Amino acid sequence: MKTQWHKIAFGALVLALPLASCDSKLDIEPVTNVSPEKALQTSADVEALLNGGYEQLGGQYLYGGGLQYYADLLGDAGDVQFGGTYLQPKELISKSVLTNNAFVASTWTSAYATINTVNTVLANLDKVSEVQKKRVEGGAKFIRGALYFELVRYYGKAWNDGNPSSNLGVPLVLTPTDVNKSPGEEAKVKRNTVAEGYAQAIKDLTEAEALLPASNGFFATKYAASAMLARVYLQQQEYAKAAVQADKVISSGNYDLVYPYAAEFAALGNTQEDIFAIQLTPQSGINDLNTFYSINSRGEIYLTETFVSQFEPDDDRLNSIDYDYGLSTKFDNIHGNIHLIRLAEMYLIRAEGNLRAGTEVGAAPVDDVNMVRERALLQPYGDVTIDEILLERRLELAFEGFLLHDLKRTEAQVDNLPWNSPKLVLPIPQRETDVNSNLAQNEGYN
Amino acid sequence: MKHKVLLSLVLYLLLGAAAWAQTRSVSGRVTGAGDGAGLPGVTVLERGTTNGTSTDANGAFTLTVQDGASLVFSSIGFVSQTVPVTGSTVAVRLQTNETLLNEAVVVGYGSQAKADLTGAITQVAAKDIQNTPVPTFEQALQGKAAGVFVENTGGKLGQAVKVRIRGTSSVSGNNQPLYVVDGIPIISEDQSTSSAATNPIADLNPNDIESISILKDASATAIYGSRGSNGVMLITTKHGRKGKTNFNLGVQYGTSEPTNYRKFLNAKEYVELVSEAAANENERDPSFDYVAYTNVRLRRWSAGNDDYKTGAVDTDWQKEVLQKNPFSQYDLSASGGDDKTRFYISGGYSDQKGILISNRFQKMTSRMNLEHTATDKLTLGVNLSLARTENHRLDNDNSFGTPMQIVALSPITPVIDPRTQLLSGALDLTTGLPNTLYPVYYNPLLSVENASNETTVYRALGNVFAQYQIVKGLSFRTEEGIDFLDQNEEYYSGRLTARNTDFTSNGNAQSNYSQNVRFTTNNFFSYRYTASEQHSLEAIVGMSYEGRSYRANSVSGQQFPSDSYKSIASAGLINAGSSSESASSLLSYFGRANYAFDSKYLVSLSARVDGSSRFGANNRYGFFPAASIGWVVTEEAFLQDQKVLSFLKPRISYGKTGNQGFGDFSARSLYGAGSYGALPTQRPVQIGNPNLKWELTTQVDAGLEFGFINNRISGEVDVYQKKSDQLALNVNLPGTTGFTRQLQNLGKMDNKGVEFALNTQNLVGNFTWSTNFNASYNKNKVVNLNGQVIEGGYINRAVEGQPIGVFYTVEYAGVDPENGDALYYLNTTNADGSLNRSTTPDYNAAQRVVVGNPNPKWTGGVTNTFGFKGIDLGFTFQGVFGNKVFNGAGQYMSASAGNGYDNQTADQLERWQKPGDITDVPQARLFEGNGVANSTRYLSDASYVRLKQVTLGYNLPTAWTTKVGMQRVRLYFTGVNLLTFTDYEGWDPEVNTDYLAGNIGQGNDFYSTPQAKTYTWGINIGF
Repeated sequence: MKTQWHKIAFGALVLALPLASCDSKLDIEPVTNVSPEKALQTSADVEALLNGGYEQLGGQYLYGGGLQYYADLLGDAGDVQFGGTYLQPKELISKSVLTNNAFVASTWTSAYATINTVNTVLANLDKVSEVQKKRVEGGAKFIRGALYFELVRYYGKAWNDGNPSSNLGVPLVLTPTDVNKSPGEEAKVKRNTVAEGYAQAIKDLTEAEALLPASNGFFATKYAASAMLARVYLQQQEYAKAAVQADKVISSGNYDLVYPYAAEFAALGNTQEDIFAIQLTPQSGINDLNTFYSINSRGEIYLTETFVSQFEPDDDRLNSIDYDYGLSTKFDNIHGNIHLIRLAEMYLIRAEGNLRAGTEVGAAPVDDVNMVRERALLQPYGDVTIDEILLERRLELAFEGFLLHDLKRTEAQVDNLPWNSPKLVLPIPQRETDVNSNLAQNEGYN
Repeated sequence: MKHKVLLSLVLYLLLGAAAWAQTRSVSGRVTGAGDGAGLPGVTVLERGTTNGTSTDANGAFTLTVQDGASLVFSSIGFVSQTVPVTGSTVAVRLQTNETLLNEAVVVGYGSQAKADLTGAITQVAAKDIQNTPVPTFEQALQGKAAGVFVENTGGKLGQAVKVRIRGTSSVSGNNQPLYVVDGIPIISEDQSTSSAATNPIADLNPNDIESISILKDASATAIYGSRGSNGVMLITTKHGRKGKTNFNLGVQYGTSEPTNYRKFLNAKEYVELVSEAAANENERDPSFDYVAYTNVRLRRWSAGNDDYKTGAVDTDWQKEVLQKNPFSQYDLSASGGDDKTRFYISGGYSDQKGILISNRFQKMTSRMNLEHTATDKLTLGVNLSLARTENHRLDNDNSFGTPMQIVALSPITPVIDPRTQLLSGALDLTTGLPNTLYPVYYNPLLSVENASNETTVYRALGNVFAQYQIVKGLSFRTEEGIDFLDQNEEYYSGRLTARNTDFTSNGNAQSNYSQNVRFTTNNFFSYRYTASEQHSLEAIVGMSYEGRSYRANSVSGQQFPSDSYKSIASAGLINAGSSSESASSLLSYFGRANYAFDSKYLVSLSARVDGSSRFGANNRYGFFPAASIGWVVTEEAFLQDQKVLSFLKPRISYGKTGNQGFGDFSARSLYGAGSYGALPTQRPVQIGNPNLKWELTTQVDAGLEFGFINNRISGEVDVYQKKSDQLALNVNLPGTTGFTRQLQNLGKMDNKGVEFALNTQNLVGNFTWSTNFNASYNKNKVVNLNGQVIEGGYINRAVEGQPIGVFYTVEYAGVDPENGDALYYLNTTNADGSLNRSTTPDYNAAQRVVVGNPNPKWTGGVTNTFGFKGIDLGFTFQGVFGNKVFNGAGQYMSASAGNGYDNQTADQLERWQKPGDITDVPQARLFEGNGVANSTRYLSDASYVRLKQVTLGYNLPTAWTTKVGMQRVRLYFTGVNLLTFTDYEGWDPEVNTDYLAGNIGQGNDFYSTPQAKTYTWGINIGF
């Protein structure tokens, strides 16, 4: 018996050895993706997180294309036709967006994912080295301000439609989500008002303008923040303020128009005209303007005679149209940067702002408009009207995401709908109202 | 710690009991009833235990058993016999038999006599699967095992095979069974980097398999704990036996062809229908001249000439890609050994060219199984297989480059462009580049010579083991297994494929490497105890640890100097590169005890504790118990005096099993890296769930096993209910959190079913005839998805109250006889709550409803086997009933020429043409898509019955073969998928398009490849 027990003891030992050492083997650290504690330790980590915010800002449902072409499809009155198979752009151009439109939902979720990223940046500024701190904080606020501006004007009623202080905008989330616990009731946020949304955008962009340097690689600069503020004020019909912001950019002397017009869009990288651009490389980024407008990709948004007929015959910008296929060639570079804010737009904002406000900040309105017309190889105006400026905006900035918003602020008819039709406001995505009972839906949707 | 204490206690109790056992040695010889020759390889098992051996080449065996033991002699194809041990020798003559009632059945960490089983297990023997000309053994199981549903995604070789044991039990996790080879769980999940999934099980050589034991109920699977819910396939490979060395050579040649071709329009019909569609549209929309526009295009696709007007060119494009292609297979094995050492070694090579052009699957395998008895207490050995497979793959079904999409090309387009004498589409003389507008779409034949997609897998799978007998009745076994899968995918597409890729990259290449490694150690004690004739106890207790790691990288290049350069090294531009890494681990403790009283009353208890790295920090360990009981009624005294009922055993089992088939780090919050303007970025990518745990299935099974007339009629019936709970679902989160979803254990799903198996020996004697029949019914129902609707496929969805993957779409109502409009049933709810069945031409006005189920209600098979003087004939019919298939390509290929210029299926000629026409094909209206939106128009019943396999063999008389020094010569013919009976309108009803295949995306056809019909001739020589 005794020898048997020795054997048993040996056997038990063999069994017990792996048991004793295995338990810790259940803790496996992820490698390709990493845990939040490992991700956020140093200043460089937080800077990389901010870069992530820029990357997300350039996502296909944000400034990678969606935020631009939604405005040109929803605001369209026959300038273009959509000939593709995707239902989501079809719903936009036919002004019958459904609450389950996946693109509209992705814009919402992408925007808030980006906001969560930059909120995390702002919550971790203590890790950032002093020399970087202002640049990082400014960048985060630029991104957040720009996104709340886009969200509130797409998902809320126009600033000029009724009372923005009672009209519902979007929820303002200003702190990061705690990743160490599951989101609970506190995650069911309510919509803030349109006015609160604009106020947050202006606050963030104004702070960004103060924090950001004049030169910041291809990231947002002080002038990018000024330019975005100019857009916000223009949308609010705060014309004098818009002109002042646009003037800051123009008078910096940092930017020049690129000749000819087509060269601005043919450029792969940032140009002298770009105040802020979304960076694309063959390795990263999706250019959804290329996807839908370009012959090099799906090429499904066709330009009509109605669009072409608005140009003067000699307009150089007509050379950015491929007549064989009826497509715009502005976005033919699949890996080319998206030239989001261009100097030409600043000239047109300053012109319109000055003309409407009766001021001449920086230059006379007609001179600003002529800067743009000259580049288009057109005769300069001797005198300019609001309608001429608006037409110039439409032609110069075609398919760059302005149409719907311009029509709303100028209270113009959109196809056969009035400017303030509920159909021109995007629905709160159904996936959001399904999981958050505190989110009220927009008028006309259920 | 708790587990260790428990373990010691169990050990102590077991070991204490061991001291009483008395043993004796028995030897004997087993012969066949017919010629009286010794039967090698008969399993000799001490009844009620796992103690056993098998006979050597002469039929002899020696075994040490408990006093008063009975021996069970079993061998596949023979009637098992139970013989009480009275002296020290036993002589047994086994009768041939097709019933499998008393065979030794492999169970988790051991084996049991089938008569003593209290769980639901189906064992399939080597003879049922070997030499079946299919790439992977699961395909040979179709129609042969009750409760096991096997469905191919399509006829492409080496692709994933859907295997469902007793239905689908997970909504978002893995639903394939756990595959275990010689005790070691192996890699079975998809390894493909494209959306056309591959099947790592195809790396096994089916001819190395001795048996497959399919564990179905919780009693059988709970010992595999958190991986048991989907059933377990225990694969045992062949082993050597003491005696003379036997060689076996097998050679098999054959041909494959498609099970079916579809009829498409010929040139004249195509021109007629397309022209009619254009003319109709001219009337409906006078603002544009559709006829002129169409004529320009017809001329273009007629290679720029007027042949289209006369039908001079009439290409059946389908025939260009679906072909007859050869199959060949060679196997050589040797097995034998002596008292100390037994071995089985084999080498195999098979080469199958697919029915689809440029599809080819080659497999080279070798295996060495070695067992050495070092002392009378210590046995050790190794089971090792090395394999190399090379798969010439194709694009997924949703690519213009996949050969089957060729059917969209116009029959008026010649294969060879007369202007260039090259393949149509290869060269546009005006640009010097491939055509962009000719033929109507990219010509997939251009990919045949100018693109390649090769996957090469090197697989080392094996284990070393040692078993030590500590005291009589108690032994300890340790197994260390490794599964190493190294895969390389090389993809290249040259300049001529530009229309399918792009015109600027000048060649695209991609190279993916992955290394998938699993390490397993099993360590367990086995104990058996027989106190007397009446009590027998068998128990195991042990632990296992498994570690899995995965590493992969890929690199892509473009800009090649010419199409002669195909490797990334020659790329002018490296445009992408990536890597990934993942790992998981599983730490488990398991035990099982089987107790039999008087061989009548059977009880089995088993349990496993699984700790998994995949579970959240708050739920690291899961507990999976099971219990079962059985009653061998025929052992009762009151049934001893009758001859009719030879076996009757009711049994019941209940237990819990788990599923952890979700991502390695699903429970964790994660940050991921990216790039912006070539600068590094990071951001949160996942919010974790520290409570995440296994999916839990509770299964109840009641079975009845029976045998009549000396088991000439035998069978079993099982009813079961599987209730799956805490299913891991991606639950939507408010997007305002920055996250869209979180994996939570919320879902519930039920499966209920009945299985029936019947084996009869209709004729015995010189002429034998036996029949094996099985049928299974399973009903799946999604019970709780937290109110979510999860969509998949084209129109599949998981929705509460319905089976998983139901088809949900608008109901087609045919054609308005007045105007040719496609009509749909409104299916809206009337004020009184009834369904509004009136029709509407407005698709958007019609309500979507549940219109069908992709899961079959019934599946089954019948195999008849005849034998006469060395000739054997077997044929299997397989049936699948009650499921539907949606043709996602219907909107293009069966669109009454209303959705572009795709060639149309011949049935579109039945289109509406004038008021009063009664048809269900709407009026042809070019570009208008009259009736092409997703609806039941493209949904059809996909029930089928197939003559799955026919084998006719002839064993040459031994008297002849011995003269030339051979023991055995067998010549045979085998055919697979020879006949298919179905109402399905597409190529083949067994289909699930690869790019949408998933738990919810089921039953979809999209230019999917039909199954192969394969005929082979073979010879097996034993010497």
